[in-house]
Amino acid sequence: MEQRPQRASCRWFLVWAYAAMLFSGLLLAGSGASAGETLKIGILEEPKTLNVWRATDAWSNKVLGLLYQPLYVRDPKTLELIPWLAAEQPFFDEKDLSYTVKLRPATWSDGTELTSEDVAFTGNFINEFKVPEDYSKWDFISKIEAPDKHTVKFYLKEPQATFLTRTLTTPIVQKKEWVDRIEAAKKTEKPLGTLLNEKIDSPVSSGPFILKEWREGSYLFLQKNPRFFGTGQKIQGRLLGPYIDGVIFKLFGTSDAAILALKKGTIDMFWWGVQPGYMEDLRANPDIELFQNEKSSLYYMGFNVRKPPFNDPNLRRAIATLVDEDFIIKRILQGYGVKMHSIVPSGNAFWYCPDVPKYGEGLDREGRIKKAFDILRQAGYTWQTAPVEASGKVVNGDGIRLPDGSPMEKFTILTPPADYDPHRAMCGMMMQEWLRMLGIPAYSKPMAFGALLQQVKARHEFDAFVLGYGNLSLDPDYLRNFFLSSNDKPNGWNMSGYNNPEFDKIADGSAKALDRDKRQALIWEMQKIVMRDVPYLPLYNPNLIEAVQKGRFTGWVQMLGGIGNLWTFCELKPAK
Amino acid sequence: MTVRERFPLLNSFLDGWSIFKQSLLGRIGLVLLILFALMAVCSYIPPLIDPMYNPMTGVDPAITCCTPPGMRHWLGTDFMGRDILSQLLAGARVAFMVGISAAVMSIVLGVAIGMTAGYMGRFIDTLLMRLADMIMVMPTLLVVLILAAVFGQLNIWTIVLIIALFRWPGVSRIIRGQTLSLKQRPFIEAAKVAGASHSRIIFQHIMPNVLPLAFLFMTFRVTSAIITEAALAFLGFGDPGTVSWGMMLQWVWKTGHMFKAPYWLLPPGICISLITLSFYMLGRAMDEVLDPRLRKEDQTD
Repeated sequence: MEQRPQRASCRWFLVWAYAAMLFSGLLLAGSGASAGETLKIGILEEPKTLNVWRATDAWSNKVLGLLYQPLYVRDPKTLELIPWLAAEQPFFDEKDLSYTVKLRPATWSDGTELTSEDVAFTGNFINEFKVPEDYSKWDFISKIEAPDKHTVKFYLKEPQATFLTRTLTTPIVQKKEWVDRIEAAKKTEKPLGTLLNEKIDSPVSSGPFILKEWREGSYLFLQKNPRFFGTGQKIQGRLLGPYIDGVIFKLFGTSDAAILALKKGTIDMFWWGVQPGYMEDLRANPDIELFQNEKSSLYYMGFNVRKPPFNDPNLRRAIATLVDEDFIIKRILQGYGVKMHSIVPSGNAFWYCPDVPKYGEGLDREGRIKKAFDILRQAGYTWQTAPVEASGKVVNGDGIRLPDGSPMEKFTILTPPADYDPHRAMCGMMMQEWLRMLGIPAYSKPMAFGALLQQVKARHEFDAFVLGYGNLSLDPDYLRNFFLSSNDKPNGWNMSGYNNPEFDKIADGSAKALDRDKRQALIWEMQKIVMRDVPYLPLYNPNLIEAVQKGRFTGWVQMLGGIGNLWTFCELKPAK
Repeated sequence: MTVRERFPLLNSFLDGWSIFKQSLLGRIGLVLLILFALMAVCSYIPPLIDPMYNPMTGVDPAITCCTPPGMRHWLGTDFMGRDILSQLLAGARVAFMVGISAAVMSIVLGVAIGMTAGYMGRFIDTLLMRLADMIMVMPTLLVVLILAAVFGQLNIWTIVLIIALFRWPGVSRIIRGQTLSLKQRPFIEAAKVAGASHSRIIFQHIMPNVLPLAFLFMTFRVTSAIITEAALAFLGFGDPGTVSWGMMLQWVWKTGHMFKAPYWLLPPGICISLITLSFYMLGRAMDEVLDPRLRKEDQTD
């Protein structure tokens, strides 16, 4: 009995010691992260690579976008192209189809001058090695000249409408950084593969920040670039900094953890869309500021039009009628999204064609079933149990047969898995149920994203799928790429296998039309054709909600695609 | 001749029952299990009342977000306006289906392999038991996750099958041990001398003696199958067309309601815990019935 209190106190001592250790550990960790005027950003995944040629994922591009700079960028308000590394708007010479671009004085982070040589090198590199991400933006350029240090001249093979919007917005890389690597790569069997696999530890930056340290699995630290060309300059009436000392990207595994950190004040910004479920809670929090912006994106259902049953446009139109976009936006997206009627988002007002067929618009579920039933019945489809009885009553349809009399085989709608994108997985599920009401044997099947792309893009082994482009360019050239018959090849852009000579002709015309209004007419025509044949069924364009700490920094710049843009990083100031 | 004497099976069941009902654990487990069974049966009712109570597709026309419990929805609605109570009831059905079918399959496999190995001995024994060892060390959840990543999302029956295929070795080891000891008993020797074939000895003489043990293990296997399925669904690798409790937890998590909607998060979590607990309690009580050493002194034998 005498022993007991002593043992208990010993145990208590251990508990306290452990707690104290944990607590001091937390304090230390906290103090390490809170450097003076450094912006702390929560991210969910690490950049896959810092090799700019290989960076296709969002996380790599978030970091690399602050290092490698393009010649022209978009104004946050007007979305017009404005000179960035370039000094003025390009000069077009119609006679020899050339564009001349003058450069601003700028230096790389290693102290060497950024010259026209670097610009020419970037273009030539992409064309020589056919870099997969960028080649389509540069392949129509026959020659790039650098008459002097600050002048670049691009010669085009043919007029190309996307030259300004897509080619001149490609990030410029330093020649010196890559020449030796190219020499070495040329000696290998696959030079492109070798260059893409090149590990870049310290990218040479021309942007507002330079890479200081990357501790994999924990954080990545970007420091202010003292040689940034924009510092002290006024571009578009904006006096550029950066006014912050650096940016720390802190890795969190899940949104839950990142948002908790934001609420606690461990991070200043969470650079990823906040799920609507968190909104109420965050809105009530006085320390959190929320930004809601439109995205330039397209989430859609694609059909494999190469084979039955989706080689029949009537079936695709019937499905377009059945799929309830209002339901998806109101319930699955919780209202944080915009309905898509065409492949071009409606926010892209100049190129968006308002005059496309809108299937099932304004109808309720029964109305949609009846209309879809009519479309299919007129096209020659038959049922064992028709979904709409003679009296007009809607029942569960069964045993649908194609116009040639054969039963419709089961087909799958492939979607990304719920842990990758719960919205698309849920959309697939709902579509399955809606189609089944009409007796169409649809099965929604979420599968790992990589495997899904393999199956859809590389092997073309699918019936239908739900995918999205989260960052669609503002130039509508993708419309041509998605549906051009020559792009129907393994890993090609045309995943649906859409083949329409009439469309091809107009699409090629649109790419060569340098006159904006003429091009607009062609782009509108293309949208009408696509929405008539529905190889893709546009579903929604989600809004982006981003959350930051209130009162720590000011000067967040809102634009299409959210607050995580170059302008924000150049203008953000500590609040005190 | 009394009824008991006429039906020996009934007799042994009643004997077992009298021991079982003395166990408090067993009684609690049984009551819980009956409750869950009722839930599973009741899951067919809500969709009949109104299509909006369909657990997967039914949405309340007036509600488009997550709402707390109320008169129309006793446990509230999820982010799309679907009724949580109907989902919870449907989840009970799925849990029983997954748990019992996976357990039955693994027991059938485990018993067959265990008896064969134990009775045949030598080479076959070594072969089968090494195979069992190999499978036993593989982490089920990890293997299913990899399979799901490779083949896309798995159907609920595929998940059941995989769980069954990975869960038999434990059973087969126990059954083999039992068979080894049975094999040496005089009645087996007698059967052999009388000219009974191997299959007759295995199925007529050995099997009836190992079956009670197999049933006992079944209750534990049910638990592990339910937990594996729930974990899979929670991680996003379940069957998206099935409303299971794990799936409900995944929806709470992925839509960001984890810390906001306890009425949505807690019910499936509590149900998973309670149903596995009830099977476990049942198993413990049955253990006492089958193993006299575990009984208290004053209990009948």
